[in-house]
Amino acid sequence: MSFLERVDQTIRRSAVWRSLFRQPYPNDERSRAYAVMNNVFLHIHPVRVRQHAVKFAYTFCLGGLSFFLFLVLTVTGVYLMFYYVPSATQAYSNILAIQSEVTFGLLTRNIHRWGAHLMVFFVFLHMMRVFYHGAYKPPREFNWVVGVVLLFLTIMLSFTGYLLPWDQIAYWAITIGTNMGGYAPLFNTPAKLILLGGIEVGQNTLLRFYVLHIMVFPLLAAIFLAVHFWRIRKDGGISGPL
Amino acid sequence: MADTSTPPERRVVLPVDPTRRTEIDKQRVPMSARPYRLLALVKQDAVVRVQKEPDDTVMTWPHLLSIEFLAAAMMSIFLLLLGLFVNAPLEELANGNVTPAVAKAPWYFLGLQELLAYFHPTVAGVLVPTFVLVGAAVIPYVDRGNPTATRPSERKTAVVLFTLFCILGLVLTFVGIFFRGPGYGFAIPYVNTPGLHFAL
Repeated sequence: MSFLERVDQTIRRSAVWRSLFRQPYPNDERSRAYAVMNNVFLHIHPVRVRQHAVKFAYTFCLGGLSFFLFLVLTVTGVYLMFYYVPSATQAYSNILAIQSEVTFGLLTRNIHRWGAHLMVFFVFLHMMRVFYHGAYKPPREFNWVVGVVLLFLTIMLSFTGYLLPWDQIAYWAITIGTNMGGYAPLFNTPAKLILLGGIEVGQNTLLRFYVLHIMVFPLLAAIFLAVHFWRIRKDGGISGPL
Repeated sequence: MADTSTPPERRVVLPVDPTRRTEIDKQRVPMSARPYRLLALVKQDAVVRVQKEPDDTVMTWPHLLSIEFLAAAMMSIFLLLLGLFVNAPLEELANGNVTPAVAKAPWYFLGLQELLAYFHPTVAGVLVPTFVLVGAAVIPYVDRGNPTATRPSERKTAVVLFTLFCILGLVLTFVGIFFRGPGYGFAIPYVNTPGLHFAL
């Protein structure tokens, strides 16, 4: 037995390892079923799934990849938060510092930006996929509604994040975006005032969008994601084949 | 393994008169050979008919998890390469007094901004997005056709309407992204404007 094999054996036999993984590496159906059932991250899945559901061309992994992008954005976003102050006088210089001084700052910001656009795109595609499969039909009607809420939250997450670099693109994109929404006839002025915290995009807007972006919308999205995943299982798993 | 420490149970199988051997006797074997006992024999169509539907399922581990892992890995590599080679846009500091020549909303709102060029802001900014979101949410309650009809050929109306709507949205967004220049006027990129007026 080579040295590496002995190290491997020692680790696998240690009390810590065996308390962490209660079963050995799953090699047969029974232990694989246990591995999925007993793992907090994997038990989102059933032990067995229908054959057509694992075909790539059925789902194109669109929903899963949307969720994966949500996780990537959470991780990169938390890292960016360490170096960002939502202040009209500091935000822009913070972005410059993130790009030039922070370790992997530029890469993290790039991934956060592209990941955000990709997530909006993938959620759109996921929605189209679900429609064309007729997967919103009973008993999955309400999960479709939850999905529409998640689409709205995804767009709002992207939109609120768009302002944070506090450059000309951000400023004028948000100005136009909020101008369009500000025409709601019933609550015209209040709606825009509440959203912007003033009559035009300014410090209050930046703070509001920041709080919405890093706290309110991610929390709401996490709650609705939990409901979304839970209902997939409760509504009888993934929809049937075409 | 606790049960290996005790010696295996030795059972004596009494010989049975060959003429009186029943089916159960034929199946009887020493415990050392088989660790289970035959309790009863159920002939087909006897008492309970076991209905077994054809099993079209596969194990989540490894069939589903390997695909998910692969998809996540590919996406990670793609994002990493994108982040390494394409920088996120950043222009100069926000200034409310300097209106840029081309001011556009984020791309997913450009369809709405395009509508703004034709309709009153109340329509383009409030009514249409509300209609789209609420309309999307009530699709399952409007489409009350045969719930088992999932093939596109079985639900042509829904598929055609949805596809038309998607194409309309895509065309509007596409025009907003590529064919709108200074002052949000119509412009063909690279022909009568210098390059694309679009930031992601």
